[in-house]
Amino acid sequence: MTSSRTKRWLLAVVLPIAAVALWQAAGTDGSLAGGALPTPDRVWTAWITWAFGHAGPMTLSPYVGSWAGAVGHSAERVAKGFAVAILLGVPLGVLIGWSRIVSAMVDPSIQWLRPVPITAWLPISLAIFGIRDFGAIFLITIGAFYPIVINTTQGARDVEKNWIRAALMMGAQPLDILRRVVLPAALPSIFTGLRIGLGIGWTAVIVAEMVAVKSGLGYVLWDAYYVGRMDIVIADMVSIGLFGFISDWAIVRLELWALNWRRLQSFNQ
Amino acid sequence: MGTIQFSSVCKTYHGGVLALENVDFTVGEGEFVALLGPSGCGKSTLLNLIAGFEKLSEGRMSFNGNPVTKPGPDRGVVFQEASLLPWLNVWENVVFGPKVQNIARDDYEPRAREILRVMGLEKFHEALPVQLSGGMRQRVGIARALVMQPKALLMDEPFGALDAQTRLSMQELLLDIWQTLKTTVLFVTHDIDEAILLADRVCVMTARPGRITRDIRIDIPRPRSIDTLTTGDFTTYKAMIMAEMRGLHAHH
Repeated sequence: MTSSRTKRWLLAVVLPIAAVALWQAAGTDGSLAGGALPTPDRVWTAWITWAFGHAGPMTLSPYVGSWAGAVGHSAERVAKGFAVAILLGVPLGVLIGWSRIVSAMVDPSIQWLRPVPITAWLPISLAIFGIRDFGAIFLITIGAFYPIVINTTQGARDVEKNWIRAALMMGAQPLDILRRVVLPAALPSIFTGLRIGLGIGWTAVIVAEMVAVKSGLGYVLWDAYYVGRMDIVIADMVSIGLFGFISDWAIVRLELWALNWRRLQSFNQ
Repeated sequence: MGTIQFSSVCKTYHGGVLALENVDFTVGEGEFVALLGPSGCGKSTLLNLIAGFEKLSEGRMSFNGNPVTKPGPDRGVVFQEASLLPWLNVWENVVFGPKVQNIARDDYEPRAREILRVMGLEKFHEALPVQLSGGMRQRVGIARALVMQPKALLMDEPFGALDAQTRLSMQELLLDIWQTLKTTVLFVTHDIDEAILLADRVCVMTARPGRITRDIRIDIPRPRSIDTLTTGDFTTYKAMIMAEMRGLHAHH
């Protein structure tokens, strides 16, 4: 068990290590591509300064000790937008999946709006909210909403007929059925939607911060590019990947906990 | 208290498939009636109608003299594969009914405990359905119906998916329970032995369209047990029903 886990870890890091080594070897004098890109050691140094440096009164660079703040801003926006998307998407998805009337009324509109990419929502978001937090949260909500509502709908539609019949036979009212049968039965699909939605949430926050707000990892990414700090750009990208990965892992842990019955099911079969 | 009545009942599905044609059929108070027939004869449809899961196309149907419009806890249904809620443990599955009906905890808890004990499930309150064998799951399915103190039990091939050994022990368990409770039972099966062993009356059905062709009273004295399966009476009834079913088959 332990040795196979170690083996999996080793296999997983082979590719990144090789890529970083190659990248380092390809560069001369701390840079490559004619000076356009820094080598990993430069990125690492810049990242350390960005994360742990102490900005004094004479410090001009914004990339000293400001990493945690940028991460915090982005993560907070993702969390807020994602939470709103869950609060809207899960109940709506359950209703669409459960009721033919709601499905006929709402589903076509959702399918029609869904192909509009989050970037296309930027002008409207700026017009309504201006350069403020709301704009970013709005975009994240839109991005995360579709996968959540669509997967929840799917799950609520596919509930085994006899589970609902059994609940009706035991005297359950429509609200009991939704809460105690349809929702738990749809939970596996809902979690699929949450994972995809959260991934899109991280994409949306970067897009929004590049344009619509003046803080966070997305803002730093664009700003650093403008002042020619490609080392910070790359450190920023790695940070986005890291936090996207961590939040996805958290959802998977939550899923394993919430769907213990289902894990046992696949284990027993 | 638990009478079932069908008069001139027809059921047509989408596309014009006639599942039931002119079924007249009564189950009296406290009677155990088996519906016996091949798959596709409409025996489960009949059960689903009185359970309130499906609407009839023509005719009349009543439970205790009242028309049936929807499912309810006065008619406890036991499904073929138990159909327990897989995210709830045994105890939660069994008290689901009383809970959603807002019955006081003090009222249903002792009853649920007692039923689970009778069912041999007292050590399995915390187990999830997936951790149980098929027979155990169906014990929970029966317990979940009984805890609501239904006026009738509607059982849809409840032991059909079990192996022969488990089926026998479940049949014996059901006999024991029914011989004490004496609730009305409508029991759907395709197993001749099972029908004779359990029921007061065996209604033989035929397919396309679904009809009841023969209504046979089983006068084997109670209490019955697995030993009943080897008595002369039993064999006589079995021969009679087999002849009936073979005749129907040849007729087609």
